[in-house]
Amino acid sequence: MKKLFPLFALFILACSDNNSEQIVNMYSQRHYDVDQLQYDNFEKTTGIKVNVIKANADELIQRMKNEGENSPADLFITVDVGKLWQASDMDLLQKYNDEGLTEGITQSLTDPNGFWVPVTYRSRILVYSNERVQESDLSTYEDLANEKWKGRLLVRSSSNSYNQALLSSLVANLGEEVTQNWTEAVVSNFARDPKGNDRDQVKAIAAGQGDVAIVNSYYIGLLLSSENEEEVNAGKSISVFFPNQEEGQRGSHINVSGVALAKNAPNKSNALKLIEYLTSDEAQEIYVNNTYEYSVKPNIEPNNIVKEWGTFRKDPLDLNMLGSKRSDAIRIFDAGGWK
Amino acid sequence: MNVKLLTSLISIFLLCPLIYLLYSVIGLSLDTFLYLWNNLLLGYSLNTLYLLLLTVFFSLILGIIPAWFVSTTNFKGKSFFDIILFLPLAIPSYIIAFTYSDLLSYTGPIQSIVRNNYPDFYKYVNHDYLQIEILAFLMALVLYPYLYTACRISFSLLGSNYINISKNLGMSQFQTFFKIILPISRVSIFSGLFLITMEVLNEYGAVKYFGVNTFTSGIFRSWYSMEDINAASILAVCLLIIVSIFFLLERYSSSKYRYNYKPNDNVSGNYSTNKFSRTVIYLICLFPFILGFFIPVIYIVNNVFKTINVVDFSELINLSLNSFFLASVSSLIIVAIAIFFQYIKKISKSKTVFYLSEIVSLTYALPGAVIALSLIIFLAFLTKLIGISIAFGSVVILVYAYVMRYMAVGISPLRSSFDKHPETFDDTGKNLGMTNFKLFKKIHLPINISAIYIAFILCFVDIIKELPITLILRPFNFDTLAVRTYEYAIEEMIAKSSIYSLIIILLGAVLLIFLRKIINKGVDVS
Repeated sequence: MKKLFPLFALFILACSDNNSEQIVNMYSQRHYDVDQLQYDNFEKTTGIKVNVIKANADELIQRMKNEGENSPADLFITVDVGKLWQASDMDLLQKYNDEGLTEGITQSLTDPNGFWVPVTYRSRILVYSNERVQESDLSTYEDLANEKWKGRLLVRSSSNSYNQALLSSLVANLGEEVTQNWTEAVVSNFARDPKGNDRDQVKAIAAGQGDVAIVNSYYIGLLLSSENEEEVNAGKSISVFFPNQEEGQRGSHINVSGVALAKNAPNKSNALKLIEYLTSDEAQEIYVNNTYEYSVKPNIEPNNIVKEWGTFRKDPLDLNMLGSKRSDAIRIFDAGGWK
Repeated sequence: MNVKLLTSLISIFLLCPLIYLLYSVIGLSLDTFLYLWNNLLLGYSLNTLYLLLLTVFFSLILGIIPAWFVSTTNFKGKSFFDIILFLPLAIPSYIIAFTYSDLLSYTGPIQSIVRNNYPDFYKYVNHDYLQIEILAFLMALVLYPYLYTACRISFSLLGSNYINISKNLGMSQFQTFFKIILPISRVSIFSGLFLITMEVLNEYGAVKYFGVNTFTSGIFRSWYSMEDINAASILAVCLLIIVSIFFLLERYSSSKYRYNYKPNDNVSGNYSTNKFSRTVIYLICLFPFILGFFIPVIYIVNNVFKTINVVDFSELINLSLNSFFLASVSSLIIVAIAIFFQYIKKISKSKTVFYLSEIVSLTYALPGAVIALSLIIFLAFLTKLIGISIAFGSVVILVYAYVMRYMAVGISPLRSSFDKHPETFDDTGKNLGMTNFKLFKKIHLPINISAIYIAFILCFVDIIKELPITLILRPFNFDTLAVRTYEYAIEEMIAKSSIYSLIIILLGAVLLIFLRKIINKGVDVS
């Protein structure tokens, strides 16, 4: 054992390079390849090194909470705005207090409370089988409760945060009781028990196991740009539908991937620079063309694959509601038997 | 220093975070827990039980039967089978789950080929393969080696005496197996099954993907979805209690039957084979290997070739070194502690040490994320207590968590090995005037050396596959092979994850082959 200690000490030293280089520490729920690309670009232009820990948002929140004042975290970035709301609700964030930071960003995507800055957004949309469903059959999320969809709906588990955010938006827009009835009806329309991820729902449509699925928009982009020809074919066997677009309807549900300053950020000015970079036109172009998400800036066009689906109207709900209504949503999922 | 005191201190050190978790549960509001109890827990528990029983059932078939043939029957290529039957252990359960679901999916090669070439037969392969039964089978495919190893050692150590006697009594191989070997091997079988049970209870990634809600899902549901860490803690404590009961029952029942084993001194007592039975044996021994190792590895290698031009090799080396370093340091510590415990237990015959060594194994039942969580809470408490900040994301904490989590993996083979050797060894040694240390060095170390290697390698292979603890507790910019594999896999980029999973598998496989050689030298003279 004794022989190990020097090795150990050496390793710890090697891990903690405490020189005075410029850094910013990021706790990230995003783990796409493109993120590292962004951080590398940022370091190239500013000389500030981005240190990252990637994990589940809840784990990161828990870690920040327990680290307390000593937390090394400067920034917290998530793919679900509800988690940013939760972090702010737990007093783990500080306001960015810089109007300039959200300049050029679509107003409705920003945080009215000033805690988080949106980086990209995505819509939770419907996709349908080209063979078995007419576009005119579809209209709204609410309509999925209709009996005509019995045995035809596909969606993943209720433990998935995208589904939780969608249901939170329904609770916020329609109230608990209506949402409860909706959930029960939708569950009774399921083609199978919820399982798999979003792409699996699309594949299940292609395989004929169901006709309509609720998925995040960018997964369709990823399928269509896949190197596996069969995945592209599966992607082509379905079409994209943005629900709730008619006049008087509220628009399609969206969710934001956003970034916020940690309460005790030790490298605050570097952190603000990174936020500025991530929302710059250059970084936004990189996002839309790699992950098929939507840019938060109206002047940045979506990737061509995404553009083909056309434009859509977004649900103007205060996005913080996707967090604050979360616990109601979970209860409704459980009561409605959505596994 | 008093050895008992030292064992107690080590145990407390290992259990501190959990004790604190138990303590922090007292007096919590039960609202969320009661809510879960009323709405979900029954279903979750039944699912867990079903998944567990199925996995155990498949593991028994896949593990015990080949172990029996390899241990007692003479056939060509026996040592080769002995090696390959072990290899599936190198594959993490989440990798086998993701690999097979990709392989069997609508866009995977099997369905695509049939669809494009034999459309008439397509309806036979077009299924939803994400089923709990399939999940149980897939998990058994990579977990049965726990049982295989345990039985293999036991069947070989039982030696030919029992077999000879039963032969003389006119029993067939079949009868000997069920009437004699299985009952006296139950301690080993249970120790293998215990590890499998813990792995199933702890599984999260694959279970979630297959849409199966288990007890562990309940913990994560309260933690992640309901944002109620207290309810998660209460559930974790429940899980701990359930496992403890399991554990005590098994211990109690097996303590009633104590067998002292004699090394296999007569190899010619083995069964011989004819052509037909050889073919059957080949099929039985090949089946688990082909499904549990060969097919997934071929598929992964194929994906590696497809993606080889986008691999960042310097990063790959870096990740491999991280994984290797973490796994070796942690495994060494675990094995050192496990040997210490078992040895002290043996020579002191102390009840306290006995219980302590059992209790530290229990942490294995807890999902890695819960261990990480309890560590975070505990360290936060310590920080407050002593006023000095403790770095959460440091390699030391990570190793600490691994040691807590995988103690059982190290203890299990050592326990069965230490228990097997007759106590007369100690008495003789003592009569010869040996000190405890000398007794250990001269007798227990050499006679248990294969178990020590087994313990080290099993820990190593487990840690290199480890996911949730690493995700939660790792330092900045610190990735391991398992983490990178998982990140790609959940982003539905199976192909890109393949090079990382391949290294995990190869590293594990090489070690397991190495291990096999050692065991064969130590255990099976044939």
